[in-house]
Formats: sequence, structure tokens, C-alpha cells
Amino acid sequence: MPNLPTLLKEATALVVAGCLLGLVINHRLVWDAFSGRLDAAAAGADSVADLTVFPAPVLLDELQTLMAEEAVVVVDARPAELYARGHIPGAHSLPLLNPEEALATFRHTVPVDRSVVTYCSGYGCQDSFDLAMRLILAGYQDVRIYEGGLPEWQAAKLPVEGNEP
Amino acid sequence: MTTWRRSLLTASRLLLGGVFLYAGAIKAANVTAFAGQVANYQILPYAFNYLAAALLPYVEILCGVLLVIHWRMRPALLVLGGLNLVFMAALTSAMLRGLEIDCGCFDPSGTTGTSAGAALLRDLGLMVLIVMIWVLEEAGTRRRSGGARTV
Repeated sequence: MPNLPTLLKEATALVVAGCLLGLVINHRLVWDAFSGRLDAAAAGADSVADLTVFPAPVLLDELQTLMAEEAVVVVDARPAELYARGHIPGAHSLPLLNPEEALATFRHTVPVDRSVVTYCSGYGCQDSFDLAMRLILAGYQDVRIYEGGLPEWQAAKLPVEGNEP
Repeated sequence: MTTWRRSLLTASRLLLGGVFLYAGAIKAANVTAFAGQVANYQILPYAFNYLAAALLPYVEILCGVLLVIHWRMRPALLVLGGLNLVFMAALTSAMLRGLEIDCGCFDPSGTTGTSAGAALLRDLGLMVLIVMIWVLEEAGTRRRSGGARTV
């Protein structure tokens, strides 16, 4: 059996070396993340991979307030059939699966300086996040995610628009 | 060590080293996307997702290199084993909380779509590989130097 203290020492040194390497190479990103500077809009990004900003989550009460003040445009990232069955009142349909055409229409009707909130099927669903990134890429400066999604909205007994409310 | 055992050791460490080199490199190439994947697990606070995404790939790359060049293997195996346990814990936690996440292990842009369960199984396989390489390395060096070993 190898010398355990030496083994642990070398393993620690290895982890530290890797961390230092990563820190040196990514120091600006890490600094931006901890200093809160990642809220700036992503101008000029060529793809989602280039974006260094992540949309912030919004809670149910805050969303309701924003909707009451008509301060946000709500966007449903789920497929069209699910949207038709039931969605948050006033939400636009922007299915993640076919974003390009719907996105073009959306951009015509909603100026990029409007605040947007995306949602989908709840905490386990990543589509709202992916759609939010696409919207940021399309130039929308203030995009947030309502992570609770339709399940939380319905659980709170809030009204739902659609064919099967 | 017999020839077939030596071949097995070489093939295994090259495979494992290669896997972690590849996984580390692909994540290092796209840190912000990987940070997004880490954030999906909803374990770390906001900025720490970025920190983890910035550091982890390079630890993987370093360990992968060590395995490939067959130097300081045991510390590298220990670190990889530890990392693997952490990944498996995170995946299990995600599964228990019902989070539907794309693993993000081998493709930070999330286009390949590995479910948490499949990723868990894969990590289990890697664990077996790690243990096997350790055992083979132990057997080999014991025979070479008659018992006394540093690392």
C-alpha cells in the first residue's frame, strides 16, 4: 500500500495546480461573476456560447406584480399544443422547438427594450432558460425566467387561458 | 506483471486518461455554457457555478495528462475517483429532486442530451475503471520493487 500522507499531499497539490490553472485562464469571468458585473446585456455575441450573462429568475409574486403593472411581456417556451391547452394569461407562444420564425414575428411586435419573462413546465424544464438565452442573443436587454412555470401558476390557483383551463 | 495485465493496464489508463482529457478540454473550451449546466443542478450559489466551471475542467485535464504519460498515477486516480463521487452525488441529488437536466459532462452546449440516470451509470463504469487501474498498478509496482513504494 503506498505511503498515504504522501499520496494525499500529491493529490491535493494536483487539485490546487488544476484550480490555479483554471483561475488564471478564466480570471476575468470569475471576477465578473463575483462582482456582479455579469448583468450587463450581451451586445455583439455571435452565439449562445459567447454570452457571458445569464437571465435571472423571477418569483411568482414578483411576476404577478410586473404583469399587473404591464411591465413585462410573458413568453411561453413550450410546444404550441401545450400552449393552446393552457397558458399564463397574456403570454406569447414562442416554442423553443421552432424559434426562428416565431422569433422574427415576436421581434416585430415586441421592441427589444421591453422586459421579457420566459416560462415552461416548471423547475425541471430547461426550455425557458434556453429560450431566454435566444432572446438575449436576439437583442432583448432584460430577460428573466419564471422557473416555477405553469405548474406553480396553476398550483397557486391563478387563472389560465386556453382550451382546457 | 504478465504481459496481458500490462497491456490491460496500459489500455485502461489511456482510455480513462483520454476520457477525462476530452471531457476537460470540451468544458474548458466553453466555460460559460458549462457554468449554465452547473447552475441547472441548483446546488451552488450563483457566482460559484462560474468558479466551478472555471476550475473543474483543468483539474480533469491535468489528471488525464498524468494518466496518459503514466506519471504520478495514484494521486491522479485518487483525484478522479473523488471527482467522480462528487459528480455521482450531484446527479443523484438532481434525480431525487426531479430535476430534468442535461448532464453537461461531455457537451456543455447541451445538444447531446444525456439523462441523469444514464450519466450516473456511465460514472459508475468510470469508477470501476479507476479501481481496476489502481489495482493493476499496485500489483505491477509491488512486483517491481518488492514492496517498498512511495507513490
